[in-house]
Amino acid sequence: MSRKLSIADLARVFLRNGTFTFGGGDATTASLQRELVANRSWLSEHEFGACFAVSRVTPGTNLLAFSTAVGWTLLGLRGALWALLLASIPGAVLLMLMTGFYDAATSNPWLASAIHAALAAAVGIMLAAVWTLLRRPLRRNPVRTMLVAVPALALSLYGLLSPLEVLALAAGFGLVAPEREAA
Amino acid sequence: MNAALLYLLLLKATLTSFSGLSSLPIVRDELVVQYGVLTDSQLNAAVALARAAPGPFGGYVISVGYFVGGIAGGIAGWLALITPALLAIPLVHYFARSTAHPRARSVVNAVVIASAALILVATVPIAAQALGSATLIVIAGASTLVLAATGVETAWVIAAAAATGIVGAWFGAAL
Repeated sequence: MSRKLSIADLARVFLRNGTFTFGGGDATTASLQRELVANRSWLSEHEFGACFAVSRVTPGTNLLAFSTAVGWTLLGLRGALWALLLASIPGAVLLMLMTGFYDAATSNPWLASAIHAALAAAVGIMLAAVWTLLRRPLRRNPVRTMLVAVPALALSLYGLLSPLEVLALAAGFGLVAPEREAA
Repeated sequence: MNAALLYLLLLKATLTSFSGLSSLPIVRDELVVQYGVLTDSQLNAAVALARAAPGPFGGYVISVGYFVGGIAGGIAGWLALITPALLAIPLVHYFARSTAHPRARSVVNAVVIASAALILVATVPIAAQALGSATLIVIAGASTLVLAATGVETAWVIAAAAATGIVGAWFGAAL
C-alpha cells in the first residue's frame, strides 16, 4: 500500500481522536478505523487487523497499544511515539484539570450532590465492565469461562491470592489448557 | 509518596492488565490497602472522572496519581499509562503473526476473564462506600442496566447521574 503522509497528518488524526472521542478505548479505536482505513486508506484491513490483534496482547491500555502499533506501521519509531503521545496527552491534561476541580467541588453542596450521584454511576460502570468482559467468553465457552472466573473470584474475594497472582494463575491455565478454536 | 515510587506501583498495575479497569484491583491493593495513600472514595472518583473524560478508561490512573501526588503524581500516572504501550512496537514488528496463535489467544482470554472477576471483587468495597442511600443504589443499578444493555456512551450516563444529583439537591433530597 503506497502512502505519503507526514507526522503532521498523523498528528491531526490522533490529536482529534484523543481529544474529542468519549466512550473509552473501543469507541476511539472504531473512530480511528473509520479515519485510517475507510476514509483515508492509510492502513489496509490486514494492517488494521494486525495492529488490533497486537493491541489485545500488549499489557496496559488497548487503545494506546493500538495507537502505537498504527504509528509504527505508518511512520516507524517516530510515528509510534507521536501517535502514543497525541492519543494520550489531551485526555491526560483534561483529566488532571477535572481531578483538581474535584477537590474544590466537594465543598459546594450542589456539586457535591452531583459528584455523589456520578460516583454511584461509576459503580454501575464497573459492574457493566465486568459484564462486557465476560459476555463474549460466556457465549463462546461458558464452562471454560466459569472454570476461570469462579476460582479467580473466590481466591481474590477471600484474599487467598493477590490480584497479580490470580492473573498469573489464569494465564497459566490459558497456556496449559488452550481454548479450542471454533470450526 | 514520591512520584518515582508512585510511577513504579502504577506501572506494576498497568503492566499486568489487559483492559481499562483490569488494573484497578492491583492499584487498590497497593495504594489503598498496602500504602494507605489513597481512599476508596478517591479511587471511585478517579474511575468516574476517567469515564467522563475523553480517551481510554484506563486513564483513571492519571486521576489516581493526581490524588496521591498532585501534578507530579498525575504525570507519574500518565507515564505508567503509556509505558506498556511501547511493548506494542516489538510485538507488531516481530510477532504480529504469532499473536494469532491459538495458545497466545487462549492466555489473553483467560486473563481477561480473571480480570473481570477481580474487578467485581474490587467493586464491592467501593460500592459499600459510595452507595449510602436508596437513591444512589437506584442510580448505580440504572447505570449498570443502561451501560450493559445499550450503546449509550458512559459520559452521558455520568452526566445524567450528575444531573439527577443536582435535581435531588434542588429539592433537598440528601444523596
